[in-house]
Amino acid sequence: LVLQGYLDEQFNQLEELQDDSSPNFVEEVVALFFKDSPRLLTNIELALEKYPQDFYRLDSLAHQFKGSGSSIGALRIKNECSIFKTHCNGRNLEGCRRSLQKMKREHANLKQKLETYFQLLRQVGPQECAVNSWK
Amino acid sequence: MRSDGRNGGVGRTRNQFPVGMRVLAVDDDPVCLKVLETLLRRCQYHVTTTNQAVVALTMLRENRDLFDLVISDVHMPDMDGFKLLELVGLEMDLPVIMLSVNGETKTVMKGITHGACDYLLKPVRLEELRNIWQHVVRRKFSNRERANIDGLEECHRPSNADFDNVHSQITCGSPDQSGRPSKKRKEYHSEEEDEGDDSNGQENEDPSAPKKPRVVWSTELHRKFVAAVNQLGIDKAVPKRILELMNVEKLTRENVASHLQARHLPHFVQFIPALAILRTDMFSTKYRLYLKRLSHQASIVAALGGSDPFMHMGTFEGLQGYQAFTSSSGLSSFSPQGLLNRNNPTSFVLQGMAASRPIQIATGNSTISHSIGDANKYHLSLPGNSRQQGSVAQGLTASVGQVQLSQKWIHEETDDLSSILSVNGLANGMPGTLQNVTNSPLLQQDLVECRQAKVVIQPSSPTSSDRLEGTVGVSSSLMDSHASQQSRLPLSAFSTSALPIDGSFGNKSIAELGVKPSGGTNICASSDLRVARDNKVGASSFGSGILVSPETAPNQKYLSFGGGSNLRQNMDGGNPDRLLDSKLVWSSLPISQPPSLIGSHHLMSQRPNNGSLGARLIGQVTPSDSTAAPQTKVDMFIPGEMLTPKNASDLSFPKVQTEFSSSSCSFDGLLNSIIKVEKDDASFSDGLGCDFYSLGACI
Repeated sequence: LVLQGYLDEQFNQLEELQDDSSPNFVEEVVALFFKDSPRLLTNIELALEKYPQDFYRLDSLAHQFKGSGSSIGALRIKNECSIFKTHCNGRNLEGCRRSLQKMKREHANLKQKLETYFQLLRQVGPQECAVNSWK
Repeated sequence: MRSDGRNGGVGRTRNQFPVGMRVLAVDDDPVCLKVLETLLRRCQYHVTTTNQAVVALTMLRENRDLFDLVISDVHMPDMDGFKLLELVGLEMDLPVIMLSVNGETKTVMKGITHGACDYLLKPVRLEELRNIWQHVVRRKFSNRERANIDGLEECHRPSNADFDNVHSQITCGSPDQSGRPSKKRKEYHSEEEDEGDDSNGQENEDPSAPKKPRVVWSTELHRKFVAAVNQLGIDKAVPKRILELMNVEKLTRENVASHLQARHLPHFVQFIPALAILRTDMFSTKYRLYLKRLSHQASIVAALGGSDPFMHMGTFEGLQGYQAFTSSSGLSSFSPQGLLNRNNPTSFVLQGMAASRPIQIATGNSTISHSIGDANKYHLSLPGNSRQQGSVAQGLTASVGQVQLSQKWIHEETDDLSSILSVNGLANGMPGTLQNVTNSPLLQQDLVECRQAKVVIQPSSPTSSDRLEGTVGVSSSLMDSHASQQSRLPLSAFSTSALPIDGSFGNKSIAELGVKPSGGTNICASSDLRVARDNKVGASSFGSGILVSPETAPNQKYLSFGGGSNLRQNMDGGNPDRLLDSKLVWSSLPISQPPSLIGSHHLMSQRPNNGSLGARLIGQVTPSDSTAAPQTKVDMFIPGEMLTPKNASDLSFPKVQTEFSSSSCSFDGLLNSIIKVEKDDASFSDGLGCDFYSLGACI
């Protein structure tokens, strides 16, 4: 899929879960993610700016974000979170900042890509749904 | 109906099992939760979700039969997943599965030691979820087995061994696979017998039982037994009379006699373990499971109002088997004591039990078992303390020895947490000396009164140790003075020694009483008082924060409060009122005097009890006083995550790391700007609003 590299098999799983009873499941979950994650990102950012940094907290925030991301299969985000956490452990502030920037970029990217993806799906229309339900 | 469904005596639900299994899913992340829910539904389970652990607990407490299995995230803001795990396991004997992104071995290990049936990594896959029903079955099965075993043993040791065998069989699951279903059915059947004819049951299906067939002491039967004993009074509880009172057919006097001695009744003993709460890592899962089972029974016991100490049960003994380290001797000493545990305290026992030492102490306290209000509470405290290794236990035990404690504890009942927490706190450091001291006197006091979290604070006066954990348990009735005194004393002692002693005395009463511990500076600042490091959060104040009037009398450094402990120091007592309301009010006490003291910046976070986090008051360290100037940095760290308005679950405390950013703090560098509360022991307030926190100052 177009999303190779951005998403991983978890996403496929989610798609498999989608069926007649929950036809827009994937989209819903993704929407939920994008609704919730900005808050997390903001928190991380705030925590980074605060002085002195509370690395422990940063780590836990990143953990949360990672969890969220991996639930929808956002591979890159997940990886970036791991990197971020490593920086946290090393108390590497600069590294954290950089990592955060990357995370935000990935996040925005993914959001865009997924939006496009869903649009496509919708365009394809009911056919696509039918196909999905056959999985 | 429900029990039908649950036990499936002949329940239709059972027959279709695992379809329709009722799962409770807890995760703070909405995305994960949703995905999880959908996955579970796909497996045809019946799912209930919540994103707050506290809510989950409430639901479970209301009716434990509502669910078969609990799945919980490790990382949650309002309560640590491990804590929830323990609570659920202990109180409700439900299998719990942990979930996390974090798959490091040590974390997984932690999950297992806290009693998780399984540990899954996020993202969770469907196949993994399809198998979780096995845990439910396994547990039910092993419960039955245990019941069988109970009847068998007379002597503890062998029973332990047996139990282990059986249990291992069960867990391995292998040999009996085929036999299992039938066994299960049989067990259900015997369980269903109720009506008091349980003893008939009993087919002793325990393959490894070397003994002759014995009566299976099912819950029902046991309940009668306990009621009978209670009625007779411990003195008069002779088998013959018990038998008469129980009025059960086919039950012989010998059965009763052996049961009386059997000491398989963990719930009896539980209380003392509260002291032993210090859970050592050794805590055995098995044991826990075992205890849990017992705790169910214990709940029955809870009904018993008798304060009569029951014979201590052999649970400890049973524990011996489990505890690798425990020295059996410890336990044995324990058993003699008539520890009564009421209520679920069983859970406690176990935890602490890990250290056999504690047991010893416990023995001293026969009384301890007294009704401990909701035993549940106790457990909680215990888990938190797991850290402590035997040393703590020792300390505790010593203190425990103070029978008085036990007595007091009992009264406390209500909100549970109280005592236990204190215990936990002890875990580190050498609590031994202090604890003893503190305990005895403290306990005396009315622990009983304390309602809500009576946290007995045992300031661990770690004279030398680095880890001092002063758990301050404040029992409302506790004598604030006592507590404070107690704590203080130790503290004073410590103050000199750079031990961080967090004597946080949360005395509810204080607040109410308006007691400001005279010179309450409980916290002797000697070197970092890190409160609540790991410890379990003691609810410092039940409602009212523990105000510790920091009188910085001691010149020592101020204690920096770290940790979620609810140290509330009222400096000037000005806040007392407020504190009362808010949970934790950390007032940074400006140490004005102590020259080297670093302005203790205590973050003050006030949380109104009622949840709604009050604006965090950052107790700005009244730096005015602090001479030290820069030091006081009061960072309030009241993390937004900190307790979200729910009942003061002060879980966030742990998170709250007092940033003592006292750069200048010279706490000997002790004060870490971040107090990490490693433990997630967050004090969770059970609705009581009590926060327990044990302050553990670790250096």
